[in-house]
Amino acid sequence: MKGLFHVTPSGWAGFALAAFAVLVLPGISSSYWLSVFTSASCFLLAIAGVAFLYARLGMVSLTQVGLMGVGGWIALRLNYAFDFPFEVNLALAALSTMVFGWVLALPALRMRGLYLALVTLMAAGGLEILFATFQFPNGGDGFWGVKTGSSDPFRRPFLAQSAEDYLRYVIICAVLGFVFIELHRRLQPGRAWALIRRSEASAMAAGVNVTLYKTWAFGITGLLGGAAGALLAGSLGLLDDGTFRASESVMIFALAVVGGARYWQGALVAAILYKVLPALLNIWGVDADLSYVIFGAGLLHAVITAPDGLAGQALQGLRSLLRGKGRRDA
Amino acid sequence: MALARYKNWLLWAVLMAAFIGWFGWGGRPQMVGLFVASGLAVGSLYALGGIGIVVLFRATGVLNFAGGAAGAAGAMTAWQLSEWGIWDPVGWLACLLVALAITLFYGRLIAPRLAWRETVVKAVATLGFALIVLGAVSFLWVDDPRSISLPTDGVGVRILGMRITATRLIVFAASILIVFGIWLFLARTRVGLQMRALANDRDLAALMGIPILRVETIAWGISGLLAGFTGLMFADLIRLEPTVITFMVIPSIAAAICGRLENLTVVLLGGLSMGVIENMLTMSSALRGVRPIAPFVIAALVLLYYQRGQRLTFGGRD
Amino acid sequence: MRYGKTLRMAAAVLLASLGTQAMADVNCGMNTGQAATGAPIIVGGIYGDAAPGDWSSSTDSAAAYFRCVNANGGINGRPIDYRVENDQWNPEAAAQAAALLVNDTPTVAMVGNGSFIEMAVNANTYEQAGIMVMASACAISECFETPNIVSTNEGPLPSNLGAAQYAQEELGAQHIACIGLNIPDNGIWSCQAVQDFMRSRGGDSTAVLINPGAPDVNSALLEAMASGADTILINQPAGIALAILSAAEEQDLRDQYNWIAPTPLYDLSIPAAVGEYWWGHLYVNAELAPLQVNGPDAQNWAAVLDQYGSADDPRDTFGQAGYLSARFFVQAMLEMDPAQLDDRAAVSTAIRGISGYTSDLMCGPYYVGDADFHMPNHAGYMLKVVEGGFEIVRNCYEYDSPYFAPHIALETQLGLR
Repeated sequence: MKGLFHVTPSGWAGFALAAFAVLVLPGISSSYWLSVFTSASCFLLAIAGVAFLYARLGMVSLTQVGLMGVGGWIALRLNYAFDFPFEVNLALAALSTMVFGWVLALPALRMRGLYLALVTLMAAGGLEILFATFQFPNGGDGFWGVKTGSSDPFRRPFLAQSAEDYLRYVIICAVLGFVFIELHRRLQPGRAWALIRRSEASAMAAGVNVTLYKTWAFGITGLLGGAAGALLAGSLGLLDDGTFRASESVMIFALAVVGGARYWQGALVAAILYKVLPALLNIWGVDADLSYVIFGAGLLHAVITAPDGLAGQALQGLRSLLRGKGRRDA
Repeated sequence: MALARYKNWLLWAVLMAAFIGWFGWGGRPQMVGLFVASGLAVGSLYALGGIGIVVLFRATGVLNFAGGAAGAAGAMTAWQLSEWGIWDPVGWLACLLVALAITLFYGRLIAPRLAWRETVVKAVATLGFALIVLGAVSFLWVDDPRSISLPTDGVGVRILGMRITATRLIVFAASILIVFGIWLFLARTRVGLQMRALANDRDLAALMGIPILRVETIAWGISGLLAGFTGLMFADLIRLEPTVITFMVIPSIAAAICGRLENLTVVLLGGLSMGVIENMLTMSSALRGVRPIAPFVIAALVLLYYQRGQRLTFGGRD
Repeated sequence: MRYGKTLRMAAAVLLASLGTQAMADVNCGMNTGQAATGAPIIVGGIYGDAAPGDWSSSTDSAAAYFRCVNANGGINGRPIDYRVENDQWNPEAAAQAAALLVNDTPTVAMVGNGSFIEMAVNANTYEQAGIMVMASACAISECFETPNIVSTNEGPLPSNLGAAQYAQEELGAQHIACIGLNIPDNGIWSCQAVQDFMRSRGGDSTAVLINPGAPDVNSALLEAMASGADTILINQPAGIALAILSAAEEQDLRDQYNWIAPTPLYDLSIPAAVGEYWWGHLYVNAELAPLQVNGPDAQNWAAVLDQYGSADDPRDTFGQAGYLSARFFVQAMLEMDPAQLDDRAAVSTAIRGISGYTSDLMCGPYYVGDADFHMPNHAGYMLKVVEGGFEIVRNCYEYDSPYFAPHIALETQLGLR
């Protein structure tokens, strides 16, 4: 238990970066960049979920953006149906999505590798159709809550009414998400996951309840995805099915691999590539079609050249640089 | 084992009959016939896409998301050539060649560099490639209403009260012939044998001295040609829009899943059933709106059915 | 996906019409012939150009017109700095574009917007920022039923009604099957209006909805057939509409139904794309004056694009709508107190005050008014697809529907009736 709250150098770096992001970033960002960074932070949380599942258990979920949609749908639905504050909507959306993740995971967990990935892809495809058919609630009547005309207002957190405060709020949520994962990793579930990743058979022989811990991990991924979706809903005030296509779920996973699933920096790199880079290309006036080409090429290049992801490569480089310096100093 | 196989076929037949009976009940038999015939046409396209995916996956271990994009690029090329007044068959040939070239480019130049990655990562990498192709195609051809028509669109026969054009018959027949042809190829030729060996155990096959590069190139080529053919047929029968053709790959994967990524006959039947069920859902007022969900639900159920009775899979490879 | 991308006039036709007029003189703003040199007035615009469709023609034409105005004295000597952003068909990018143009930039108004999603995402932003949007290419209800957006084009609802009314009056339609997209603020909204209209005339209408994600349209066509309709209204973007028509051709259904469509099928590439089979049998509603009307504004637009636009700017209805929005905006700015040109609130008031502007491109007057809804354009033309183009079968006519009651009341109040 002693090491539970021990903060590693990488952890300190993360907290320092988060502090910078919370204290300085909103102040120096224009409205455009506030909106970009808020989106990126929402997706950071979602990517953290996929990356965690992949790095800790070797399981691939190609439905994370679909789960975000589920979380966002629930948050919007609650917002218009009841007078709960944002935090309650956020928590309920995250928890419901976690349950949804379990329901999805229980039958799927017998599968491994590609088949698990494919069954989650089928779920993403199905969710895409459901979102396109029923749309997201915008204050209308009935169960689906959809009306024509402009949407009713979405209540933001009491503490974060302005765009700047909302960015801070989302970053803090994302940091909490990472801490949540890290604490899990250091406790009983983390040990079970490590064993399962090595070999399911030996995990079972060691008395680990494999199904329970795999489901648990899937639930965490759903929880983070659902929270990310609810936060995204708060950022825009409404959601559109175009955000939650199955291909985006595949893209998020690909970027998590490109960034480096084992490191928190990897998820950050992935979120930056996914949301900040296109915004930058847009500002530079690159044609939207061509930025797809650039994006795709970058993705392929990184998958080919960086086995541990870009973050892994960078950290490796940093480490050897420091070592080299240390040797010279000695 | 043999009995179990027959049981699966029987179960499939009973389920399909029950489904069509259930949804068709109360509808005019004429309309039911129309929906089934229309569903078979879409289903053959799902199946064709799925067959291309499975052939490639078996031989190379790559699940290709970029087949649709290659087909889209081919179909747009065919349209462009026809716009320039070039004799149509040249355009059709160009469609196949462009899809072939794009697929071979990936297969020869990019895929080998990813050989060390796990299957899922290899699969998502092809999505990156699909984005490159789609981006380039959308850049070259600005969005505009376009259509391709083949001479076979003009002739047709009436089946079940629906006029079926020769193009649809060709697609349907082609999907069956291609399955049969590939089965013959795998069973009777030396390269086919080598492909089967690769599908069975790659490392062992490599140790035995199977020329992996050559066999893989052939597999990429076959899947490229299939992508081109599917793209052209899709453009003619459904729509000539690059984005739609590109993402057609996702229901195609659903069809491939039905055959467990290995059995082409089941891929064909799965694709056809998906098309029919999707169309039959139109008869239900409650499920009408969500009918495109059918392939995904079916594929997920089939996957779960295959896994029944298993508890955990130990060891082994994906 | 895209509803209203309409009438992409082939450049060839344009060149032919230009040939007769040589380099026509342009008519832009103050027409001084002197370039404006004062402090710029910043105006924004959002278009959508990404995978599903290119909706940039309205901002292209608006930009060309503003360049022409700047070369001709600007707004009392001050040039317009027109800044456009691409929403990439992505709701987040749309919100970011509005953040950049409305919150980060002191724009006085938005002009020429063309998008399928931007208005839904940003309607509240515009309202909070107190900025008026003179959009040009709109497809969803938010464009027409919110206080700060006014669009020059009609959108699917009036265009559908126009087509339905023509079919009911001239083609003897009793029961219309409206094949729309399964999107609440587009297909469902606009097919519902057709149903209300047909019922008010003693007929009926059935909505047949296609999921935008579904590649196959055949089942929707079969569903329309099964509904017992005598007329089929193809309320779809051109791409899907073409697919439906080719499926119908396959079944040889041409003579069993009347075939009508709203504006998306008014596109010069359509007659060739649908093929000979449909010539003379497909009726399309047009929101703005068709090419052959070729009035002064149509000619001026063409000349402006020619001299101040680029060669590949699309010459289509959206382009015309973008030009018109820009022209009306400049007219309103010129009528304003020059001291208040940088004041967003004052410009918004001036735009709300627009009333009774006219153009040969539009059937009725253009106005904005102080209301929670805006739909100045609800009269149009009916055309028939013929070889190589379109034939006008009914000139400017107003659509008769209870939906327009509040609009007519507003027009009466503004003294436009």
